[in-house]
Amino acid sequence: MSISTTTIHVKDLRKTYVVPERDAGLKAAIRSLVRRTSREVKAVDNISFDVAPGEVVGFLGPNGAGKTTTLKMLSGLLYPTDGAISVLGHVPSRREKNFLRQITLVMGQRNQLQWDIPAIDSFELNRAIYRIPEAEFKRTRDDFIELLDLQGLVNKPVRNLSLGERMKMEIAGALLHRPKVLFLDEPTIGLDVTMQRRIRKFIAEYNHRYSATVLLTSHYMADVEALCRRVIVIHHGQLLFDGELSALARRFAAYKTIEVTLADASADLGVYGEVVEKDAGKVKLRVPKAETSRITARLLADVEVTDLSVEDPPIEDVIETVFAQEAVL
Amino acid sequence: MDLFRLFWLYLRVSVMNELQYRVNFFVQVFQSLLALITGLVGLALVFSHTNELGGWSRTELLVVMGVHILMGGVIRTVIQPNMERLMSDVQEGTLDYALTKPADSQILVSVRQFRIWQTIDIVMGLLVLLVAVYQLQLGIGVLQTLSFVVALLLGALMIYSFWLILTTAAFWVVRVEHVLELFQGVYQAGRWPVGIYPAWLQTGLTFLVPVAFAVTVPAEALTGRLTLQTLLGAAALSALLLVLARWIWRTGLRRYSGASA
Repeated sequence: MSISTTTIHVKDLRKTYVVPERDAGLKAAIRSLVRRTSREVKAVDNISFDVAPGEVVGFLGPNGAGKTTTLKMLSGLLYPTDGAISVLGHVPSRREKNFLRQITLVMGQRNQLQWDIPAIDSFELNRAIYRIPEAEFKRTRDDFIELLDLQGLVNKPVRNLSLGERMKMEIAGALLHRPKVLFLDEPTIGLDVTMQRRIRKFIAEYNHRYSATVLLTSHYMADVEALCRRVIVIHHGQLLFDGELSALARRFAAYKTIEVTLADASADLGVYGEVVEKDAGKVKLRVPKAETSRITARLLADVEVTDLSVEDPPIEDVIETVFAQEAVL
Repeated sequence: MDLFRLFWLYLRVSVMNELQYRVNFFVQVFQSLLALITGLVGLALVFSHTNELGGWSRTELLVVMGVHILMGGVIRTVIQPNMERLMSDVQEGTLDYALTKPADSQILVSVRQFRIWQTIDIVMGLLVLLVAVYQLQLGIGVLQTLSFVVALLLGALMIYSFWLILTTAAFWVVRVEHVLELFQGVYQAGRWPVGIYPAWLQTGLTFLVPVAFAVTVPAEALTGRLTLQTLLGAAALSALLLVLARWIWRTGLRRYSGASA
C-alpha cells in the first residue's frame, strides 16, 4: 500500500520507557534516594501496519500490551523511540495544528467536559478552539444530539448526568469538529450493555457518514465484533495478528464447538469431548481443532443425531487463548 | 490572536461555572474584608511606634498594601487556578486532552481556569489604592497612571512566568504542591516595600521570587519613586522570565512525551 492511499502508516514503531526500579521495603526506598536503578521497558516493540481511509480497526491486547502507548504515539502525545508514523500525511509528534484539527482522542476513563456547566456550553468552547464555522457546528451538534438521544441532557450540568450519558456527551463533544481520524481508547468502559450498543451504533454511523478512519481499543469483544472487520492484536508490545476478525478465530482457536441435537436425550457424549453445555437434547462439545472431523464422523456413526453443526468458539475465548500464549509468534 | 480569544472564551465558561456557587461570593467578600482589616490593623500598629518605615509614610504604605491586595487578587483569579489545574492534569493524565487541541499548549493551559469570586480582591485593592492616592494628594497624572499600569502588568507577567516554571517542574517531579504553598508565604513578604528588608532578602524577593517587581515597583509608580531605569529593568526581567518559562515549558513537554528521556 502506498502512502497516498493510507490514512495511517506505521513502520517499525518502537517505544521504550525507562522506569525506576527498586526492591520492596524501607531500606530499598532509602537506598533509591541515593542511587536510582532503572530498567528499560519495551512498551511497543517493532510494530508495522497501515490503515486505509474509512477503515475501522480494532486494537486488541491485554492490559499493558502497548495499545494505549500506540494510540498516544499516533495522536502525537508521545514521541516514538524509533520508527516512523504518518497520520493523514503528518508526523503526529510535531503536533501541527492542521493535524490536530483532523483527529480526535477519546479516553473512556478520562473526562474533558466542564463539570459544572451544561455540555452545550462545553461544546461551544470546542467550537471556538477548533474554529468550526457556526453553521456547520450547529448542524453537526444537532445531528449528534439526535443520533445519541441527547435532547434534554445537553442543558443539564455534566455533573448531574449518569456515567453513560456523560460518555455519550464526551464522544459528541470530541467529534464536533468532524475529525477524519478517531482514536478511541476504551470508549465504552464501565457502561451497561444498552449504552454500549448505543455508542457503538453512533461510531458506526459516524464512520459511515464521514468516511472517518477509526482505531478502537476495547475490552468488550462485542464492540469489536460490531464495529471492526479488521483487528490488530498486540501482546508484549509486538504484533501478533493483523487481519480479518474471522481469520483470527480460524488461526488461533485451538478448539471448535460441535453442537449436536440428539434423538435420545439421555446419551452421554463425555467420551467424545468436553461437554460445555447440555440442554434437553442439545449438547455443546468442545473438541481440539485438529480432531474435529474425526470426532464428527465418530459421532455421526455412533449416536443418532438429528442435527449437527461445527462452530468456531466465541471470539472472547479465542482472544483468551491468544493472550495465554506466553511465547510470541 | 489565540491568547485573547482563548482567554475570553474560558473566562466566559468560568463565569458560568462559578455563578452556580453564589455562597462562594459571600464567603469571599467576608474573607477579603477580614484580610483588609488585618492589614489595616497591622499598619496602624506599626505607625503607633513610628512615622515612617524605610522612607515610606503611612499613606504610601497604604498604596503598597493596595497593590499587594490587587496583585494577590490577580494571582488567585487567574494564575494560581490555572497552575493548580495544570499540576493535577499532569498527575491524572488529563493533560493529554489539552495537548491534542489545535492551540498553543502553553496559552491553553494558562487560561483554562478562573476563580471569578477572587476578583473581589482586585476590586478591594483598587478601592484601597483610590483612598490612599486621594489621601496622598499628589495629583496623579496620566504618565504616572500609565507607568503604574505597565508596572502592574509586568509584575503579573513575572509572577506568571515564575509560577509556570515551578509548575512545569511537575513534568520531572510529579508532586510540587509544596513548592507552590511556599510561594504563598513568600508573597506575604510583599505586604511591605522590599526596601525595608535586609539586602540578601531584598535580592531574593527581587530576582528569585519577583515579589518586589509585582508589588513594590507598581507602588513606586503611584508614589512618585519610580525611575525609568527600574521600569526598563522590570521590562527586561519580564521578557527574560517569559522566554525562560516558555523554554522550560517546551523542554518539560518534550520530557512528558518522552522525547528527551
